[in-house]
Amino acid sequence: MDAIRCEGLTKRFGATVAVDDLGLEVPAGQVYGFLGPNGAGKTTTIRMLLGLIAPSAGRAWLLGRALPDPRIVAETGSMIEEPAFYSWMSGRANLEVLSATGGGSPAGEVPRVLRLVGLSDVAARKVKTYSQGMRQRLGLAAAMLGRPRLLIIDEPTNGLDPAGIRDVRGLLRELAGEGTTVFLSSHLMAEVEQVCDRAAVIVRGHLVEEGRTATLGATRRRVRVTVAEADIELAGRLLARWPARRAGHEFLVEHETGRDVNGALAAGGIVAESVSVELPRLEDRFLELVEEEDSRAVSTSS
Amino acid sequence: MRFLLAAEVRKLARPLVWGTGLAIAMFCVLITVGAANNARGGETSPRIPDICARAATPACAQVVARAHTAAFAAAQAASRLAQPGQVGHIAAGMLASLPGLLLIALVAGGHWGGEWGSRTIRSLLAREGRRTRVLVAKWITVWAVGLATLLACWLVLAIAGPVAAAASGLPDPGTSLWAGLGSSLASAGHAVIVLGLFAAVAIAAGTIARGQLATTAITAGSMLIALLVAGIASVGQWSPASFVQAWMGFSANGYLPTNFWSRFLSSSGPQLGAVAGLVGIAATGLVAAGIARWRFAADVTV
Repeated sequence: MDAIRCEGLTKRFGATVAVDDLGLEVPAGQVYGFLGPNGAGKTTTIRMLLGLIAPSAGRAWLLGRALPDPRIVAETGSMIEEPAFYSWMSGRANLEVLSATGGGSPAGEVPRVLRLVGLSDVAARKVKTYSQGMRQRLGLAAAMLGRPRLLIIDEPTNGLDPAGIRDVRGLLRELAGEGTTVFLSSHLMAEVEQVCDRAAVIVRGHLVEEGRTATLGATRRRVRVTVAEADIELAGRLLARWPARRAGHEFLVEHETGRDVNGALAAGGIVAESVSVELPRLEDRFLELVEEEDSRAVSTSS
Repeated sequence: MRFLLAAEVRKLARPLVWGTGLAIAMFCVLITVGAANNARGGETSPRIPDICARAATPACAQVVARAHTAAFAAAQAASRLAQPGQVGHIAAGMLASLPGLLLIALVAGGHWGGEWGSRTIRSLLAREGRRTRVLVAKWITVWAVGLATLLACWLVLAIAGPVAAAASGLPDPGTSLWAGLGSSLASAGHAVIVLGLFAAVAIAAGTIARGQLATTAITAGSMLIALLVAGIASVGQWSPASFVQAWMGFSANGYLPTNFWSRFLSSSGPQLGAVAGLVGIAATGLVAAGIARWRFAADVTV
C-alpha cells in the first residue's frame, strides 16, 4: 500500500495554477524526498494532503484512505514550514495541548518526543524564549506525537546548527527504520540525497522527475570532451547528433557512452584531448530540470 | 471532543484573558460605586427641568413630584447594592451589555483570531481536521470566559457593593438574601444566553477576519451597528440589540447601571417581549453559526 497517492492533483488560485495535475506514489516505510525550488508548489501540495486547502481537481489518498478524511489527517504527523506555537506556554505545555487537540496520546509520549529531539532540559521554558532551531526541534517533536505511521515535514532542518542537522537526519532515517513513512519536502539537494530513498522533483507545479535518489541524477549520463581549439567548429558539427553544450574547448554531450562520442570525433579526424563520462549529481540534475521547465514555460507562454 | 475542549481551556490561561476579565470586573466595581454616589445625589437633587425649577405652575408641580418619586425609586433600586444576593442582577446586566461584549470581543480576538495571527491554526487543523468541532470548542470556551467573568463580577460586587452602599448612605433594600439571590439568578440565566450570542458573533467574526485585532473589531463593531440600527424606528425592533434588550428586560430609566445597553436605544416604538427577544437571539446565533461554518470551510492559507 502506498502511504501517499495523488492522481491529477491540481490547485488553482484564480488564474495561477500552483499545482498542476500532480501524480505521486509514495511507498510505505521509506523516506521520500519532495524537491523543488521556492514557489514550485511543494507547500501547496502538503496543504492539500493535510486538508488545509481543498484541491481544485484530482484526488489523493493517505495511508490508503481517500481525502478529505479529517481522521486520517489527524493520524498523520506533520510540520509545515516554520512551526508555530503558543508563545505564552512552555514547550511541554504546547506539546500537551497539541496532543490533546488530536485526541490525546499515551502517558509518557510528550517526554519521549522531547527526549528524541533533545529538548527535555528546556521543556519547561516558555516557547517565546526558544531560538529558531529549538522551535524547529519542537515542531518535529509535535509531528512525532503519537507515533504516526506517516510524517509529512517541510524543510525540517531550517535554522538548525550542523549538529542539529545531523541529529535530525539521523532521526528521520531511524523513524523509517521503524516503519514510519517520511515525506520530506526540501529544496536542499544534499539533504534529500543523504536521507531519502526516493524523490520527486516538482517545478512550477509540474512533476518533472521521480525515482530512486541514488539513480535520479544519473538517469542521463553525460560525456565531457575536450578538443583542441582548431577542432572546435568541426567537433560541434560532429557532435550535433546529441544534445550538447559547449564551454570553451569543452563539450558536454548528453549520451550514455564515451566510446560513441569519441568514435564520432575520430571519424571526423579529431583526436580528443580528454573524454570522461559523468554521472551528474542530484543537484546538477535538479538545476537542469528547473532550467528545462523554465524554458518550456517561457516557450509555451510566448 | 473532551480532549479538544481541555486543550482549548488550557490555551485560555494567558495574560490577555486574565487581564481582560480583571479589567471588566474592576469596571463593574467602579461603575457601581459611581452609581451609588449618583443615586444618593439624585435623591437629594432630583432631575427637574430648568423651566419648572423657575416656575410654580400646577403642571410643573406635577413634574417636580414625579422627579422626586423617580429619584427615590432609583435610590431604592440602587440600595440593592447593599444586598450581596441582589448584586448578581448588576453583574448580569453588565456582562449582557457592552462590557460583556468588549470582554468577548477581546478574548475571541486572542483565542480565535490569534490562531491565524500566530499561524497556529495550521497545527490545530492538522491535529483536528473536523472543523465543526473546532468551531464548537472555540465557541464554548469563549462563552465560558464570559460566564466565569460574570461570576467573578458578582463575587467582587458582593464584597464591594455593600461597602459602596454604606458609604453613600443608601437606604436598606429591605429584602432577604435569598429573595435577592433568586432575582439575580434569573438575570444571570438570561445573561448566559446573551453571552452565548456574543460568543457566536465573535466566532463568526474570527472566521471572516482571520486575525486578532480584526476579530475584536468586527465582533464589537457588528454589535455596535446593531445598537445603532435598534434606534431606527422602522427597523429597530429587528436588530439583535433589540432582542438583547427585550430578553434582558433592560429598563431605559434608573440611576443604577444595571446595563450599558438601553441608554443607547430609543425607548419609543414597539417593544418586544422576552420570548420574542429569545427567539431573535436564537435566530441571530444560528445566522452567526452558519456564517462561521461557511467561512471556516474555506482554505486555510496562512
